[in-house]
Amino acid sequence: MKAPSSDPTDLLADVLSKKAGGFVELRYHKKRTRSIAVEKGRVDSAQISEHTGVGVRVLEDGTFGFASTDRTEPASIAGAIDAARSAARASARARTDRCPPLPPAPLARGRFDSPGVDELLAQPIERTLEMVLRLEAQARGSSTAIQSAACAYSEVFEEKGIVTSDGAKAWTRLVRPEFRVSAVAQRDGEIQRGVETVGATGGWDCLFRRAGPEALAEKAAARAVDLLSAGYPEGGRVKVLLSPALVGILTHEAVGHTVEADFVQAGSVAAGKLGQRVASERITLCDSGASELLPGAGGSLAVDDEGLPAGRTEIIRDGILVSYLHDRESAARFGVAPTGNARAWEYDHSPLIRMRNTYIAPGDASLDEMIASIEDGYLLDGAANGQADSNGEFMFGTREAWRITHGQRGPLLRGVNISGQAFEVLRSVERVGREFRWDLGAGHCGKGQPAKVDAGGPWLLCTVVLGGR
Amino acid sequence: MATAAAPAIDRFDPAAAERDLLARCERLLERALALGADEAEACAAGWRSIAVRFEKGDLKLAQVDRSSTLGLRVFRGGRLGFSSTNQGGDPALEGCARDAIALSGFAPPDAHNVLPRARPQAPGLALVNPAVADLPIDRAVDIGRAFVELARSADKRLSIDSAGVDTTSVARAIATSRGVRASESDAQVSLSVFGMAIDGPEVGGFHYTGDSVRRLADLDRAADAAAREFASVALGNLGARPAESYTGPVLFAPDAFLEVFVSPLVSAASAIAVQRGRSALAGRIGEAIAATDLSILDDPSDRSLAGATAFDREGQPCGRFAIVERGVLRSFLYNAYAAAVEGRESTGHARGSPRSVPGLGAHAIAVAPGRGGHRANLERALDRGLYVQRFSGTVDPASGDFSGVAKSARWIEGGVVAGPVRETLIGGNVFALLPQIIALSSASERCMGEALVPFALVDGVAVTAG
Repeated sequence: MKAPSSDPTDLLADVLSKKAGGFVELRYHKKRTRSIAVEKGRVDSAQISEHTGVGVRVLEDGTFGFASTDRTEPASIAGAIDAARSAARASARARTDRCPPLPPAPLARGRFDSPGVDELLAQPIERTLEMVLRLEAQARGSSTAIQSAACAYSEVFEEKGIVTSDGAKAWTRLVRPEFRVSAVAQRDGEIQRGVETVGATGGWDCLFRRAGPEALAEKAAARAVDLLSAGYPEGGRVKVLLSPALVGILTHEAVGHTVEADFVQAGSVAAGKLGQRVASERITLCDSGASELLPGAGGSLAVDDEGLPAGRTEIIRDGILVSYLHDRESAARFGVAPTGNARAWEYDHSPLIRMRNTYIAPGDASLDEMIASIEDGYLLDGAANGQADSNGEFMFGTREAWRITHGQRGPLLRGVNISGQAFEVLRSVERVGREFRWDLGAGHCGKGQPAKVDAGGPWLLCTVVLGGR
Repeated sequence: MATAAAPAIDRFDPAAAERDLLARCERLLERALALGADEAEACAAGWRSIAVRFEKGDLKLAQVDRSSTLGLRVFRGGRLGFSSTNQGGDPALEGCARDAIALSGFAPPDAHNVLPRARPQAPGLALVNPAVADLPIDRAVDIGRAFVELARSADKRLSIDSAGVDTTSVARAIATSRGVRASESDAQVSLSVFGMAIDGPEVGGFHYTGDSVRRLADLDRAADAAAREFASVALGNLGARPAESYTGPVLFAPDAFLEVFVSPLVSAASAIAVQRGRSALAGRIGEAIAATDLSILDDPSDRSLAGATAFDREGQPCGRFAIVERGVLRSFLYNAYAAAVEGRESTGHARGSPRSVPGLGAHAIAVAPGRGGHRANLERALDRGLYVQRFSGTVDPASGDFSGVAKSARWIEGGVVAGPVRETLIGGNVFALLPQIIALSSASERCMGEALVPFALVDGVAVTAG
């Protein structure tokens, strides 16, 4: 494994000093990915990719311009500054509402290392490959009904140097490992799949903090087989007990996107609702660059891509909407402090307002108490994909469901999609569990460019629309 | 690391770009073979792009980029290794070759890890129009501003969250130790708009649309169509009410039909999915799997579609390819690996960028129009039920189970649109419902410039109203 790069911020600061004038933001970004994918005993992918460059954003004539270069010597970075300024000048006439100079902000300076980088840098890839091959074979061999299995592991090492003309000078390093195992079972022409995924920011102790890789492989295979004989839930508006993974996707998709300030400015359902009750008083919902409550959340970052410390933001406090998520520009327009939510996927992406780790704070109910309190409803688990709409309507997929009648959990049913109005669902919350988990660290959030995020929370008793058969 | 500074915004010269990429591929290939690879494949892409972004109807940002990336796949004793880099200098190429070779020391051998032989290349598709390739940034800004004005001019209740104009000029090249040498260039300009309608306290569901073209002469038509669709659907989303639950016929707009039915079917037609036991289409070549109206082509020779190309990710020629003809499954899709498993030749369906190992998939899907007439005819045939314009949900291509929200959905009553509906979920199984296609419209529509798909009326869909 290659040694880490040296601090790039001195070089960036030197270039910036020679190209001074107006607001300039330089972001060096090196991304090195190691990944392995195995299916049915065959190595589909064993790869290393390394992509490095510098993104340049300028504010000129009240307009942002952006350019990037995949060359990291001073002359190329200086050329990219010129290109960004040209882009800003060429487009300024089309901008009606000029962006005022960005207000001063508490910008980050120094070195910020996340845990796990050195541990995973030292990990031989052959050991990882052996693990992936072994777990795929374990999943495939666990039942005669299993037709195929797949297992994949990836780790992304990121180094960023952010220097701005108004004082940021930060060098950050982090690693995000991700593990996925799936099994496909078949019987009488029926095919079902079981999937387990985990993702973290940090080392393997964070990645496998809830279950070891062997247990995840066993669970995926067992779930594929069990689903072959599972029925479907009945559709309709029903009381449900959402698992922490599903609470995570609810907070991210149904609420988080609607409070991103760029979406708020366009008129999302959260616009104009600051200070209003939008949820049950049992609900406190936050977004944080840190891994609150438990270590290793997959969207953790110390400094955002505008050079701001990525702190914790309360979005809903005791049911009242108290904040949106901001970058520097939107914060200036709203007259509030930026929240450290500007993020860019690679060096050639301009920062956008994105979530980090989004969660509902735990309450005091146990899972057993919550199940016992349900006369007729469902317990849902296993997050699939999700999407939210401007009107607050959301949908997300679940992998598994169990009917609950008279406080008793019934047999496994197939997961279906659920939908509802975000704030209506949050107002319908009757109980909040005390067990907390981060459970959305694998995969990406998409908003023009991908972003690694995490989300989670406790078990939650609420009402949604269930798509049945 | 190279020593010359990148010019700010310069012209795109396809021939020079392809020569440069091929030369870098050759250098990478040479290094891989010198380091011990039995076989090696170097693939490269280089591009120049301009992006103009609008938010809330106003210009947000203009961006210019120029970059390239190279990927190297090696086989040693049947063992796979892959590495990629975006750095063009010799030290970076050396590092890339060493990473791939090192990885190939660890994977277990697989006899099907082979590179395809060189085959005669089809004539180039002439995908570069200089007016698009060298579009100046101020012209892109003008195009974007006019498009945004057009999109929101229909009604003051329309709110544009984001819109954009992107021009990308790209060169691609591939060189392998089995003699494959191929290169081509492409230039496209794409438009996109995302937003909703807001009427007092009511916020309608969002809609997004767009298109991608290769001739400036096609841009006005594309912009006009996208703006009209955006305004019509976003405004139509206001005033949504609950629908009714039932199981029966549902009308799908082209985007929804593509996402729920066509894309999962094409995924299941991947030979690798079949070989690995995760396709419901295994063993069904020559069988009727859908209603006789359904024919699906992969047509990368169609220059009107974004995925047009003369060769695939492994340098194999590709052209019109029938997947389903009049409801009968005709062929699976093969890349070199899947072909080697069955001792046959690739069908030219290796996909992906130089940043990863080649995958497998279709390039440019074209679903043949049916005989159902215009959309209004299909609404009359439905008489009473749900019309889905967009699908937000999950489709498992292995089982075919789908479940999700019907977005921008309308209730059809008496054969005409009665109004929008909300919180309505649909579910079913793709493979069980394909034979229940009642009718396809008589024209196929462009889906974001990437596919041609008709409207479809499908029976047996479970509709759950909230």
